[in-house]
Amino acid sequence: MSRQQARTRPGSVSRALARDRLGVPAVLFFVLAGVAPLTVAAGVIPTAYQTTGLTGIPAAFLVIAVILAIFATGYVAMTRHITNSGAFYAFVSRGIGRTAGVSAALVALQSYSFLQVGLYGALGPAAASEAAAHLGIHEPWWAWALVAWAVITVLGLLRVDITGWVLGVLLTAEITVVVAETVSGLAHPAGGHLSFATLSPASLTSAGFGTFGVLAVVAVLGFVGFEQAPVLAEEAKNPRRTIPVATYFALGMIAIVYAGASWAMAVHAGTGHVVATAAQQGPGLLFGLGGSGALSQAAQLLFMTSLFAAALAFHNVVWRYMFALGRENVLPAALGRTGGNNIPKAASLVQSATGLAVIVVYAIGGWPPMADLFFWLGTSGGFGIILLLALTSVAVIAFFARDPRGENAWRRLIAPALAAVLLAGIAVLAVLHYGTLLGVSAGDPAAWALPASYAVVAVIGLGWGLILRTRRPRVYAALGLGAHAVTGQLTPAAGEAA
Amino acid sequence: MTGREPRARLGGTGRLADDLYLLAHHDVTGRPYLQPRAIGIGLAGTLLAELMLADRICIWPDGVVAASRTPPEDGLALRVLDLVVSERERLPARDWLLFLARTAAQDVAQRLEQSGYLTQASPRRPWRAERWVPVDSDCAFAPLTRAQSALNPSRPATAQGAALAGLAAACGLGSRLLPYGPPGARRCLDEAVRQLPSGLRDLIAQTQAAVDAAVLTHRV
Repeated sequence: MSRQQARTRPGSVSRALARDRLGVPAVLFFVLAGVAPLTVAAGVIPTAYQTTGLTGIPAAFLVIAVILAIFATGYVAMTRHITNSGAFYAFVSRGIGRTAGVSAALVALQSYSFLQVGLYGALGPAAASEAAAHLGIHEPWWAWALVAWAVITVLGLLRVDITGWVLGVLLTAEITVVVAETVSGLAHPAGGHLSFATLSPASLTSAGFGTFGVLAVVAVLGFVGFEQAPVLAEEAKNPRRTIPVATYFALGMIAIVYAGASWAMAVHAGTGHVVATAAQQGPGLLFGLGGSGALSQAAQLLFMTSLFAAALAFHNVVWRYMFALGRENVLPAALGRTGGNNIPKAASLVQSATGLAVIVVYAIGGWPPMADLFFWLGTSGGFGIILLLALTSVAVIAFFARDPRGENAWRRLIAPALAAVLLAGIAVLAVLHYGTLLGVSAGDPAAWALPASYAVVAVIGLGWGLILRTRRPRVYAALGLGAHAVTGQLTPAAGEAA
Repeated sequence: MTGREPRARLGGTGRLADDLYLLAHHDVTGRPYLQPRAIGIGLAGTLLAELMLADRICIWPDGVVAASRTPPEDGLALRVLDLVVSERERLPARDWLLFLARTAAQDVAQRLEQSGYLTQASPRRPWRAERWVPVDSDCAFAPLTRAQSALNPSRPATAQGAALAGLAAACGLGSRLLPYGPPGARRCLDEAVRQLPSGLRDLIAQTQAAVDAAVLTHRV
């Protein structure tokens, strides 16, 4: 601080702080870095074509983008009025109530943990096939998954800002490759005819109305990460504008990239053959769009780094939830402590332990990693996010019902009500057709156990919330405040949820 | 110039921010134990706490206000007080923490250099900035024992000691501080902080919230 600063004009502190805050590009970069486009384009989309046998995936991306944009209307509106808006359970706590908030917190932890751990199921096989093809090393998928796990564990215990920078560079390269593959695929349609069939709304219900629920879960899985912009609400230059613009821009960009890539795959392979081709080629369905040259090689390498980046990004999301809940004393306080360099080591290590346990169990069981680990846990994570989006929409309505806080009826009531109905409907359809989603028969244990696990976790959350309410009222009172729980104060705009 | 250079002493300068700076850096190499933003926020908290302990500022629910315009002897404390007095808006403690955090590490390091506790050393790599290293490792280690005074259940903690330990733990130095303490040190620290005046308690909580928020947003 210089003498000149000391003689600074009144009001200069606020101006100086505003200069340090983040604009739209920085927030957008943060959001998209966690989205990992190539993971979805090369991993989720071909596996979804293969497992579900449905061809309406491109249309599903576009429809889900619209539904999520409607959801985002109320979501970003409420972001402006609460603290700790980077976490779904904060919305639920302040809108519906703190007991439901604990339940939402545990469901969110499970969802993001599924998404993170599932990625090892794609990372292992991708690395194993690259190593076999180019290095002549023939090791099983789980050995490579364990290598990736070890690197993520170490990076999780290092400085977090390094990982953010790495994610950003990868993102730029991934989007470039996906767009290049898409353009190339559309330029070489099967039979020389550019078909728009998979973009048609009719393709969403091609195998009955329930098909839409299945396709919607796959599409939402692709969008997971778009909801992260409010994490930076307190750091944003103008939260009223920065967070909404970054959220809508991310939604639009993801929709175009994924709908384009999945459409190009169907066009290149032929709508009638895309399911069979996906079963034969897997991620190669995307890599083959631009031929087998340098672009394909780059895409295959970037697919691995993309999976890695996504696993790291979700690892960060999971420890962030655990750290905030540990700080609030909802989870053990040790999870809310930091070690040297301000790294929440305990929270990070718990998620690493979960990943290790799952990889070991799948390796011993000899289960197929791409379908049973990557796709099953990934789609189940996406299903959990749909539940949270629906619950958050209800929370938005309840929050503004007590006090509109200057928000118009579209933002505080109509849009969130529409979103709640649509998302709840998707969740119901998904539960009814979970077997189709996983590519198993309806009676398969996985088809009911995975969705039922959310019900179990939600009930545990409700029970724990009630215990906190009666036995630890001070913890209960600060629930949902995240980093601000320590101040024990609600902001002036804070809600009065029970 | 008198020709007499200031010399480091085990007893320290008696200023909270100086002790926290030494506590947050290695006693021989000067390497930081925390991320830069967390150190900045912690030091900002101690700069405000110095003025609170000297009855120059108060923290009210609606913001930080000057309680007395009597100039403090220390130049850095005077500059912070000048800023609070001259600010048009009444700003919350969180804003002051974030504002002061931007330059606090450099400001406190310069103050410690003037007091004879730190010296500038050439960077290990040419492209790095110059770094500060302790002149005497014993003097640089001593703040840890002063912070420990708040962790001992057999001795009543002073406000200075409790504020130092509380702010150190708030910015992330708990893992450095508590292993050196007696059994039950964490409970003891919580109790010592509870005994502090409400303004200091609030400042410690705001410091911890600001550091936690930085950790959660990856901006530490």
